[in-house]
Amino acid sequence: MIGLLKSMATTMKHALDGKTFTVEYPEEAPEVSPRFRGIHKFSQERCIWCRQCEKVCPNDTIQIVTDDKRQGEQYNLHVAQCIYCRLCEEVCPVDAILLTENFEFTGDTKHDLVYNKEQLGNVPWYKDIDPLAAREPDRGAWVGEGDGEVDYQ
Amino acid sequence: MATAPVAIAEWLGYATPPLWLEIVLDAVIAGVVVTIMLTTSALAGPWAKRKITAMFTDRIAINRNGPGGITTIAADAVRLMSKELIIPDGADRPAFDIAPAILPLSALLGFAVIPMGSGLQLADPEIGLVYVFAVSSIASVGMVVGGYASGSKYSLLGSMRSVAESIAYEIPLVVTAASIVLLAGTLRLSDIVAAQQGTLFTVAGVSIPAWYGFLNPFALALFLVTSLGEVGRNPFDIGEAGTELVGGYITEYSSIYFVLFFLGEFLHIFLSGAVITTLFLGGPAGPGPAWLGIVWFGVKIWAVFLFTQWCRAAIPRVRVDQMLEIGWKGLLVLSFANLVLTAIIVGVIHT
Amino acid sequence: MSQTEEPADGEAEPEESPARGVDYDAIEGLLGDAVVSRETHRNAEGFVVRADRVQDALSSLKEEAGFDHLSNVTAQEYADRFESIYHLKKYDDPTEEVSVVVPTPRDRPVSQSAEPVFRTADWHEREAYDLVGIEYDEHPDLRRILLPETWQGHPLGRDYNQDKPQIVTFEEHENPLADDHRDADTMLVNIGPHHPATHGVLHLKAVLDGETVADVESDIGYLHRCEEQMAQSGTYRHQIMPYPDRWDYGSAGILNEWAYARVAEDLNDIEVPEYAQVVRTMSAELCRIAAHLLALGTFCLDIYGDFTAIFMYAMRDREVVQNILEDLTGQRMMFNYLRLGGVVWDVPEPREEFFAQVREFLADLPNRIDEYHDLITENELFQLRTVDTGVLEPETAKEYGVTGPVARASGIDYDLRRDDPYGYYEHLDWDVITDDGKDNYSRLLVRMREVEQSARIIEQCVDLLEDWDEEEREIQANVPRTLNPEPDAEVYRAVEGAKGELGIYIRSDGTDTPARFKIRSPCFSNLQALPEMAEGEYVPDLIATLGSLDIILGEVDR
Repeated sequence: MIGLLKSMATTMKHALDGKTFTVEYPEEAPEVSPRFRGIHKFSQERCIWCRQCEKVCPNDTIQIVTDDKRQGEQYNLHVAQCIYCRLCEEVCPVDAILLTENFEFTGDTKHDLVYNKEQLGNVPWYKDIDPLAAREPDRGAWVGEGDGEVDYQ
Repeated sequence: MATAPVAIAEWLGYATPPLWLEIVLDAVIAGVVVTIMLTTSALAGPWAKRKITAMFTDRIAINRNGPGGITTIAADAVRLMSKELIIPDGADRPAFDIAPAILPLSALLGFAVIPMGSGLQLADPEIGLVYVFAVSSIASVGMVVGGYASGSKYSLLGSMRSVAESIAYEIPLVVTAASIVLLAGTLRLSDIVAAQQGTLFTVAGVSIPAWYGFLNPFALALFLVTSLGEVGRNPFDIGEAGTELVGGYITEYSSIYFVLFFLGEFLHIFLSGAVITTLFLGGPAGPGPAWLGIVWFGVKIWAVFLFTQWCRAAIPRVRVDQMLEIGWKGLLVLSFANLVLTAIIVGVIHT
Repeated sequence: MSQTEEPADGEAEPEESPARGVDYDAIEGLLGDAVVSRETHRNAEGFVVRADRVQDALSSLKEEAGFDHLSNVTAQEYADRFESIYHLKKYDDPTEEVSVVVPTPRDRPVSQSAEPVFRTADWHEREAYDLVGIEYDEHPDLRRILLPETWQGHPLGRDYNQDKPQIVTFEEHENPLADDHRDADTMLVNIGPHHPATHGVLHLKAVLDGETVADVESDIGYLHRCEEQMAQSGTYRHQIMPYPDRWDYGSAGILNEWAYARVAEDLNDIEVPEYAQVVRTMSAELCRIAAHLLALGTFCLDIYGDFTAIFMYAMRDREVVQNILEDLTGQRMMFNYLRLGGVVWDVPEPREEFFAQVREFLADLPNRIDEYHDLITENELFQLRTVDTGVLEPETAKEYGVTGPVARASGIDYDLRRDDPYGYYEHLDWDVITDDGKDNYSRLLVRMREVEQSARIIEQCVDLLEDWDEEEREIQANVPRTLNPEPDAEVYRAVEGAKGELGIYIRSDGTDTPARFKIRSPCFSNLQALPEMAEGEYVPDLIATLGSLDIILGEVDR
């Protein structure tokens, strides 16, 4: 009987302390860690069309179409099929494809979630977090880009 | 309720209304008032249930529709009623259609004799208490019929469990209530309430009313647990048993039929709250003027409702055999012990 | 010991020696003329046994050599033959391994069933039949297990046509209600595939006698996602690692990733830096805490019957762990954190903040555990419900190859973290939890105590990581961009996942993708033992027992 009453006392304690652990989304946007992997952002300016991301992708999410001079024409990414493993970002030598912290994307059909390079370029940062800075501080040096803003449009 | 019928009778053209008209008007008005009040209560039940559960589980709970999410009640009603009414292929009609009505009906009938304060009491028969138990146990017929007519094994198992549960818990319930009858010396509910009017004792200026719950807290505890079993709430909700029987006798019901069952269950919780209030908590008694009685009555039955939700949050569901064991070997014995003890004490006092 | 990291004391044994203390020549003598030849796998010697002498060979290995744990059965098809491999271990010392290889010709792939010797072979051989197409003589119930009854062909076989659509009419499917059961004394109840308490899509065909379970049979495969085949089409270096997260998706991702990392590192002779091993150990134990909290919550959900307090409290505490893991790995469940040769990221900067966050969680954990004890284990009604229900005797558990918390709650002292050490576990101070209760209650208790032990491990890892010299924080070994292990290398390795022994068998063919990738899922074996625990119990106990097994259907069906 004592254990039973203890259980009841414990739940009542929680009921009365007024604390909650859920948040009122979307009024209160959750804190997302700097490393969080959300929807992709693509920079056509940086991309050298080396196709490494397409090759490494475990489930053929990325489709790259180039012309006969190996100039990029299309960069399509099915964000609903993606498993957010971040391998594309990891192999990219020029940081042309990035996974932002943005997890808020919707579509009415699955076809709406096939993003082309313009849509991928227009993906907004989540709370202005630039993942490149947060994830690997010395990565910029490795790419050899130096300082300055990166234009993803 | 004496003035309203007179006014209506005058409006109808009777200077002094004949007796039959007064009785009919009385019944209709009081019936409508009580039913609306109870149905609103039962509709607010699910909302309150969500809020209370959220408190226990550290969540925010519904708050989008209206202040505190209160208009979700209306949205819920529309949602539930506009759902498709699915009737299984093997359902046994019309039993399948009758069953959902039995549950709320039996609870509403039970409320007819409850003195709710502020003069609200539809009838006050001498055998009021017996009547309440009699009509409220009709509910198990609804469960059996519904479970059997659904043509589903889960429903069948659930209804069988419910019947076993009703039988096992009805007897200790009635026996415990009998100990109160011994104390009050009457079965009439208004008299039982009246018998609890005095003051039991006064501690440091605070006078404890002579409610039977204070006089015999053991009987109150026993009655509370037993009525949890009788209305099939946690930890005795084995008739529905969501994680085992997927809802038991209501498995196959949808749309308005489901609403009726749902409503019936909430009404039964409130009915058992009303019986507990009447027998143990002084009925509508409380500080302030007499017309506040209905408010106090409401507060008390909601307190009982809160208790059921508290149990839901903290106590695991017992197994079917354990439930019967608790009922037959535990509560029944305790309730008889309580009855005999009360009888002896009452006898000693009287001699 | 073919561990990948350099042990701190420098006593690395040669990588090629699979011996690990087993006298294989004596075993060859024991098996006698059943043995055709011998081959060497990375983890153990494999004895090629005649297809009609499988039971002899296995029973003498079991009875006389003490190999009482049939860990896994792998089936595969070569160009010229079919092959079943029985991976045997000892519960007392899982480093002592032996493989029994049973080749059968392609035109008549029939070999003797191991089921009479090891009960667990039942499901494993059914799976081999289902996916690869080997038939087992004397098997009591050789049906498909993962795929529908009416499936055409065996998908992991060589001549299976993947492009051919499987057209099965509705009438052809099995209908358990087709027969008239009205005159029977018992009642068949289908629990699932859609049922609140099956933790996924599991179908239990329960035969009830009143409220008592007379017979229960699990019908699995509803969540079969061809994980093995997907791994076989991915490259070792990158493409396989994201998928283990999705086997046991109940937050146990890094533990699963480690299973793949361990086997692939063994296969490719990759040494993992010590620092990375510590990070791995810490993150894996965080995962274990999260997975056990989920198990606790859902088990109580099954018993309490509503999404009420305990489930939500467990979720709340798991949330804290997930926040830590999100900061570390970048995801809350599908981590993809481990890489061959290390981990992808070091502890996030600022390090002090991260360690403070972990320490705060660890400091609060004892209070949480106390609260759970107040809420659950000390509650008399809860004890009434769980004590002495779903009893699993240790002998039965071994027959079924049961591992993990379920085995440890039956008193089997078996934990690969200690018995077959990997990572940094052997250098840390922690205990293997066992309990002799054998029932649902002990399984819950073991999980709760394991959370405490995991917390101990994490604390020590955090201490180590905090003091680690900044210059020597090597998170990844230098691993080539493409890995082509030598052809026909075979290896079976297991780690202690959240649910038990999670093993992977890989055979390489010289390309950068595995030729055969077989997953030994702990849940698969544990679920197989359900009838032993549930028969004769009441329906609510069947549900509770299923909950206490803590199965994740994604891992059962793979």
